[in-house]
Amino acid sequence: MKLAVQSIPYRALQKVSGVVILLFFLATANDWGTHVAVGASAAVLAAAGAYEVAYYRRFDYELTADTLDISSGVISRREREIPYRRIQNVDVSRNVIQRAIGIAAVDLETAGGSSTEGSIRYVTPAEATRLQREVQRRKSATKARAGGTGSATGVGTATGAAGDASDGDDFAEPVEEDLFAISPGELALVGALSFDGRLIGLLAFVASGSVPVLSGFLPASSAALLTATAVVGLGLLVLVSWVIGAVVAFSNYYGFRLSRAGDELRYERGLFRRYSGSIPTEKVQTLTISDNPAKRALGYATLSIETAGYAPGQGGDYGSQAAVPIAATDRVYDLAREVEAFGDPEFSRPPTRIRWRYGFRYAMVVTLLTGIAFAIDWWVAATLPWYGPLALLLVVPLAAHLKWKHRGYWLGENHLLTRNGFWSRQVKAVPYYRIQNVIDTRTVFQRRWRVATVVADTAGTGSIVGGDAAAVDFDVTEAVTLREELTDRLQDALVERRARREPFEWLDVDDTDTDDTDDEEDTDTDEEAGTNDTSETTADGVDADDSTTSGDAELDETEPDDTGPGDTAADGVVRPEFGATDRDYSQPAETVDTGDYAVDHHPSDADVAYKGDENGDDGLDGFDDDDGEDEAEVDSENGVDDGENGVDDGIDIADAEDDVDDDTEGDAEDDEKRRSDR
Amino acid sequence: MTTLRLHPRVRLVWALRAALLAAFLTLPLAAGAYFGYLPEWVPIVAGAALLAVGVGHALLRYRRWSYEIREDALYLDRGVVTQVRTAVPLVRIQHVDSRRGPVERGVGLASCVVYTAGSRGADVRIPGLTPERADDLREELKRLAIRADGEDAV
Repeated sequence: MKLAVQSIPYRALQKVSGVVILLFFLATANDWGTHVAVGASAAVLAAAGAYEVAYYRRFDYELTADTLDISSGVISRREREIPYRRIQNVDVSRNVIQRAIGIAAVDLETAGGSSTEGSIRYVTPAEATRLQREVQRRKSATKARAGGTGSATGVGTATGAAGDASDGDDFAEPVEEDLFAISPGELALVGALSFDGRLIGLLAFVASGSVPVLSGFLPASSAALLTATAVVGLGLLVLVSWVIGAVVAFSNYYGFRLSRAGDELRYERGLFRRYSGSIPTEKVQTLTISDNPAKRALGYATLSIETAGYAPGQGGDYGSQAAVPIAATDRVYDLAREVEAFGDPEFSRPPTRIRWRYGFRYAMVVTLLTGIAFAIDWWVAATLPWYGPLALLLVVPLAAHLKWKHRGYWLGENHLLTRNGFWSRQVKAVPYYRIQNVIDTRTVFQRRWRVATVVADTAGTGSIVGGDAAAVDFDVTEAVTLREELTDRLQDALVERRARREPFEWLDVDDTDTDDTDDEEDTDTDEEAGTNDTSETTADGVDADDSTTSGDAELDETEPDDTGPGDTAADGVVRPEFGATDRDYSQPAETVDTGDYAVDHHPSDADVAYKGDENGDDGLDGFDDDDGEDEAEVDSENGVDDGENGVDDGIDIADAEDDVDDDTEGDAEDDEKRRSDR
Repeated sequence: MTTLRLHPRVRLVWALRAALLAAFLTLPLAAGAYFGYLPEWVPIVAGAALLAVGVGHALLRYRRWSYEIREDALYLDRGVVTQVRTAVPLVRIQHVDSRRGPVERGVGLASCVVYTAGSRGADVRIPGLTPERADDLREELKRLAIRADGEDAV
């Protein structure tokens, strides 16, 4: 596929317009005469045009079965293949000019790398939308194929709207369901409430440049006049930054719309520059619900969703603004629970003694301010009421209390929620499963108060939206418990995921019934496989019992997994122990946090191991569920993988056993095998 | 597993680094004294103070540093002014490096860097290992990470 033809002049002009303007500027400044400037500009333009024509001719993208291939580059050529499964976000943006000439920029994000992995500039808007949809369609299709030909019907049922009737390649476009559309009133609110404190700083910085100029106009400085100017200046600053913030927010969120299509969220927004993009719900790392005192008073909040696709420094354009700019607080929580069902949080606060710490801190700030005021007073030799800031001391206890009051964390069933900040309060929800590492820090000052901060680090954008979820200033013992609890719960979540995934892999060891995903049978076969002890996967904590014990369920190769008789019913069928989790099954799966649990996204994962070869899969893609795999997974399962393929090919199970036995000592070989597998 | 300590010689690396930093910071002062803007004792005192602080920090840092490989995670405990305890779940390890900087090579040490997909603790470094130990640690962590069967990094 080619780019849109209009992109040639646009790109050329975009690149050299600065140069051209500079040329004209130079020409007028140096008296070269306009013809020189025009000539030079024409030459530059021609060169840029030629380059862009070459770029256009070279640039080619193609949607293959598994990857999006982009070949580009005039001087150094680059061929890039991006597997659909790895694509996290597909964003389309069009600014005013691009809209006028009918082109759109498409950006594809994967989790890796520091920049946008696939950037297609520019295609027609229709093509951009097609790309967006097509990538998602093919993503689901690859997933379904990876899941084998058995039953594709289960795919996406958890999300309700996903294509419910298709199989194989002909995956239908999932039904798009509107979640949120901004109303004019809300848009006005976004503008009115999006007061950005940082703008004040910036403006103050800019304005400070004009102070010497202004002071020239001021007559002999009297105290009252100076104070008045300061107050008026400050007021103006606030007003201007507010107006700027309002305008920016208004143009950003004009026509905001959030919808859900299958397993991804889609959004559209923008007045001058139109953005649209997709966020795969399964790649969500963190949800942030933020508000400020004004929003709280009016009962509104903001939701932002972080995925791993956006590298730090580029999230500002799409990532952090990809969610709901403003909505009634209840609505925001409902929307957030649609994405990650974290239940009703009940935050626990830091110890009350910590209020003293904040009190001291603020008192120190007030003292500092007073000191500065005194210095100014002394410097300008006026009789200013420099002790004015001391009045702030009265507010210090209140401020300390508020600061304390708005901190907190809550350990939900599947999520950690943290809350911080009074002026800009952020509630962050992190699924345990997404935790990358847990960091416990204690500064010198914190140690004095015997408190610590626990940070749950995720692969999200991090710095952009204000950092990771952190439980700040909790008692040291509590912090230690929290830290250990978080790592444990991560392990639990992993075990649970694995348990969900693996029964299906073992479905056919002694039972060739491929398309059945009945739980009873799964566990049954699982159990049998376990007693056969054919491979480490079996011992891997497949049945629900193991999901309650955290760490040790991971991979003891030798653990015989015939320990689940607690559930053996009269008919001798072992049923999964759903009671082991605290999930509420009383409600329909769609409205509860199924967390992919109650509804199996990929009941046909079981087929992968064998059907892999049919699809030309190397079993590598075959194994992963919706989230894809990482290397470790592939590695550790390699042996098993072969084992299963072996079964499929009619080779004895003993092969698999050997494989596993070798596994422990033959890591290096294993590695090599993996490489060659790839 | 028991808590593991760094090789004592790492103090030398850190002390050297502190000395370099102290020298760097005193350079302008020394220049000032050389050109007669400052009395001569200023750079000496400042340099000595910086060096003392740096070396003290290095010693305390060594005393504080420990790491531990437990069954499901790698635990690090470090930091003098701000104490930091990090738990890196083995499933989250993306890749592991062992590396040797010039100073480390000078004193015959190496370090091991563990990468995760996180945003803040994207890489944690265990310094002060003998080269063999660093390689062993790398291999061990690799093995454990593989065994831990992380299915999905992000």
